[in-house]
Amino acid sequence: MKSFRFLAVLFLALLVSACATGPKFSETKSAIPTLKSDQGRVYFYRASSMVGAAIQPTIMLNGAAVGDSKPGGFFFVDQAPGSQEVSTSTEVEKKLTFTLAAGQTRYVKTVIGFGIVAGRVYPELVDDATAQKEIEDMSYIGKPLTKQ
Amino acid sequence: MKTPKILFLALLLLCGCVAQVVRTPIELTAANQQEARRYITVYPVTIKLDSGYERRINAGVEFVEIGIISFGKVFRPTKTVFTVEGAHMHEAYLVLNNERIVGFYLPVEKAFSPLSQPVVLSIKEGSL
Repeated sequence: MKSFRFLAVLFLALLVSACATGPKFSETKSAIPTLKSDQGRVYFYRASSMVGAAIQPTIMLNGAAVGDSKPGGFFFVDQAPGSQEVSTSTEVEKKLTFTLAAGQTRYVKTVIGFGIVAGRVYPELVDDATAQKEIEDMSYIGKPLTKQ
Repeated sequence: MKTPKILFLALLLLCGCVAQVVRTPIELTAANQQEARRYITVYPVTIKLDSGYERRINAGVEFVEIGIISFGKVFRPTKTVFTVEGAHMHEAYLVLNNERIVGFYLPVEKAFSPLSQPVVLSIKEGSL
């Protein structure tokens, strides 16, 4: 019985530590820099869920690592306008392609799916209104921000 | 006969063996942005993609006509996003011919992806 309790506590601790920690969107909002007119911005986020929480792949944007997919976390990347390709480093690679215009902000949500060997995390394009609502409760996990 | 098909698709999705979205490169003739016409969907529609995935377009969704390709007129959603999915996911615009969705224009790939079973999409001119 004791070992079961210990395992349960350990499991819970692992799950909690797998979730993103950091300031909430509302707290970082004022520190987020204004987007330059010749660039676009891509927000990446992942819903806070215990399902597959331990799977935290690197997110690649146009072949470059830009951050990790952490439950409950968000970050953003400013990018030159044009075609964008997002992928994650999990069991099966599922890429997302979309366009980004100068001055435009787009939102990519990473979602957990199930594979034969392990879970997989894949990117989805989300509309602005839905994403802005979902990001409200997320924690910022990107590069340190300095107050504007 | 429907159940085995669903099971087969579920198995394909599980092992990640879904086929690529079929597409052919195509040239888009862009419409004049100043005179771009806007439309709103009248009824919701569900589109069954050839890859087995489904997409739903609700009523009251605004699209802007951005140009034309040889298969029909191309419409981009203004406040929502639309993607087609197979082995990968691609941002897509609707290609309409006689109020039927006949396929999708993939702006990144600059390609046309046909829909083997065209779907009627009722739209009216207007904006949100």
